[in-house]
Amino acid sequence: MEETGASGAELLWLGQPACGEVELVGGKVANLSRLAAEFRVPPGFCLTTRAYECWAAGLGEAEGLPQACEGVLRAAYAELGRRCNQEEPPVAARSSAVDEDGRAASFAGQYETYLNLVGAEQVARSVRDCWAAMRSERVRQYRRRYGLPVDQGRLAVLVQQLVGADVSAVVFSADPISGDREVVVVNASWGLGESIVGGTVSPDEYRVCKADLKVVGRRVADKERMTVAVPGGTSEVAVPRFLRTQPALDEAQLAQLAGLALALEGRWGWPVDVECAFKEGELYLLQCRPITTLIRPEQTL
Amino acid sequence: MSAAPPQPRPVPAPPDFPVQWDSPEEAHLPWTRDPMHFPAPLPTLEGEMWCRAMHHGFCRAQEAYEMPIRARAKQINTYHYGAMVPAVPLEEMEAQGQRAGERIGAAIARLGELWEGEWLPQVKGHLAWWDGYDLAGAAPAALRAHLDQTVERFDRLWELHFCIVLPAYAAMSMFADLYGDLFGGEGAFDSYRLLQGFENKTLEVNQGLWDLSRKACQYPQVRELLVKQQGAGAIAALEQSPEGRAFLADLREYLQVYGQCGTTWGLSTPTWIEEPSPALKNIQGYLGRPESDDPRAGLAVLADQREKAVAEARVRLKGYPRQVVDQFEFLLKAGQLGVVLSEDHGFWIDFNAMARVRRVLVEVGKRLAQVGSIAAAEDVFHLGLDELRAELDQPGDRRALIAERQAQLAHFRTVSAPPMLGMDYGPPPDSPLTRIFGKLFGGPPPAAGEAGVLKGHAGSAGKARGRARVIRSLEEAGRLQLGEILVAETTSPPWTPLFATAGGIVTDTGGILSHCAVVAREYRIPAVVGTGAATKVIQEGQLLEVDGDTGTVRIVEE
Repeated sequence: MEETGASGAELLWLGQPACGEVELVGGKVANLSRLAAEFRVPPGFCLTTRAYECWAAGLGEAEGLPQACEGVLRAAYAELGRRCNQEEPPVAARSSAVDEDGRAASFAGQYETYLNLVGAEQVARSVRDCWAAMRSERVRQYRRRYGLPVDQGRLAVLVQQLVGADVSAVVFSADPISGDREVVVVNASWGLGESIVGGTVSPDEYRVCKADLKVVGRRVADKERMTVAVPGGTSEVAVPRFLRTQPALDEAQLAQLAGLALALEGRWGWPVDVECAFKEGELYLLQCRPITTLIRPEQTL
Repeated sequence: MSAAPPQPRPVPAPPDFPVQWDSPEEAHLPWTRDPMHFPAPLPTLEGEMWCRAMHHGFCRAQEAYEMPIRARAKQINTYHYGAMVPAVPLEEMEAQGQRAGERIGAAIARLGELWEGEWLPQVKGHLAWWDGYDLAGAAPAALRAHLDQTVERFDRLWELHFCIVLPAYAAMSMFADLYGDLFGGEGAFDSYRLLQGFENKTLEVNQGLWDLSRKACQYPQVRELLVKQQGAGAIAALEQSPEGRAFLADLREYLQVYGQCGTTWGLSTPTWIEEPSPALKNIQGYLGRPESDDPRAGLAVLADQREKAVAEARVRLKGYPRQVVDQFEFLLKAGQLGVVLSEDHGFWIDFNAMARVRRVLVEVGKRLAQVGSIAAAEDVFHLGLDELRAELDQPGDRRALIAERQAQLAHFRTVSAPPMLGMDYGPPPDSPLTRIFGKLFGGPPPAAGEAGVLKGHAGSAGKARGRARVIRSLEEAGRLQLGEILVAETTSPPWTPLFATAGGIVTDTGGILSHCAVVAREYRIPAVVGTGAATKVIQEGQLLEVDGDTGTVRIVEE
């Protein structure tokens, strides 16, 4: 991969050594990048804090991306297409702040995420929108409330293949409520993970015994809503009646998820919270972080 | 979720319709009329045979699919009534319903294979058995045995009938449910557009009539004669010329294959082979129509619309979970086949097989008429099966009994039979299975709440404006003029050619999956079905506006 631009390292691919540096890509992306070699993480690249700084320095001069960034981004999107075997792969653009994950404030939901972007044009616009949101009054207020320097926040943006999930799951390698470390707790529902994360669906809840990966608890919910990819973004729609009360996962998939959570917990040394997706039988790892309610905040991978 | 069931309510019989129950249990069943299939009173033998079709046919199919209910049937004052009774204790109904759903689902998954590989070959086997028997040459004892075997095969054919229609209608209904869940209530017919435009036997019967009308047009003398001479006299006149005889040869060849139907579902009415004038009338109706009215062209338009609608739906589902997409494709394929089978099973069983049963019964009638136990062969339909057997064994004189039954039939033709008797338990709980019956029979029509407006169920899309033509039997079909609104209690496959003449259709009975609605969509004419009372409320000649999308009929001018 060719890196151009004055300062270099404006764009890094998941799995590249430099992409593990929190200062450049934020905690979330750094973690994911380190896991990409070992686990099935959808391919993607990150516009680093350097790119953000380049844009922020020229604010007021131009509407869109800085010239150098734009070229790098387009080339990278084309390369991603080759890796995904698809000319214009659908992608997600997610903000990753350098002081996010592993710091006192979680920043959950404060930054922008754009889903199901297709084509370089949409991707470039969304990256710009992620950056601009960093300067929004909402984020400023949030930073002020948590005692963070208001205008010194830096942002990276992860552009990653969007896995059109059949089933999404959030997996906890320990019970996040009771603290029980002998079980893996799985929340799962149909479609993309947004409905689970956003709390608009009550997901199925499964408990898997860590010792033998056997399912020890099962509460299949009436899953009324699901998020699906539609042209131009995503949409939350009603789950058809035939599917609502069907279990989203079977025994084998639950064992697979529990195995993944155990491996990640082993890598981390602490219980983790894992977002993942099944698509056409394949399991994808989308995100992994420590369970904040269980461990001290300074812990990192 | 489920509300407490409403209190059962006894339904009193009207004074002009006294009911004698055979057992106290019977009085507690929810007996309902099925005017869609049985609009008129039935003679004794026919009534008994349809009760057999339910008890020996429907029940065995319900057993085969492990359904939680069983069909009961009863002739009450010459009218056919049916009831569904639980097959398991009430607390097990739901679990049993789920098992039935799985069994029917398994049949849906193999629908094409079962039809081609098992069901149709079995039906054809029965037909060949009847066709291979020398009825006229059979000795009395042999005919008696043949009658018993005919009844056994009749039972088996109705078991097959319900084994076919349950998954076929379930596939259509489940596809419509899924489509509604996915794309919302965009229109009653949106889902059916994805199932339409395939060849089926009902359309084939009609296509043959159209093709005969084109043949008639090739011979100017034949055409002229058919235009001038309506009714039965036309055939005698055609026999007079070589062209006429050539045309009649074509007609007879057609009837050998497609003429096994009569004027509606039934055993006691002659088939087109016996009495070809309904077929001829249809051909006569087609003579003046332009080539562009060829039913093939209409079917091609529907097929084209279908493929576009399917492609659109697939695009919309691209980002949906695989489980949804797979179910969509599964039910799409099964639903498309379901529409075809909803007509084809009728061609093979309701008409072709029943025409063979009728032939045996009429032969028995001829023999009984020869020995003087009945006055005419067709009177056989006024005796019960056991009475027939007794007469074949030891002929007596049944003429007085038959006269009594004929009088009873004539009397009850003038009485309107109540829609319900026995005990009313309220509507059945919502489930994929009960939804199928809802779409087929339509349920009670919604209240109109406005003078001059009749509400029914959406049957086929579009709006039409035209004069009402109230047709009570197929014998009156010739009165229907191009573009008029056909108002009927019900329509059965032999009525199909009228769909090419009518500008719109309004029926008393049926739902969105009724034969009438399915065929109206194939003919692209607006239809409102299941109004409950159209034939009583609408006067012939009134100007009507039919809105098939909303299921509304408006009388705009007296």
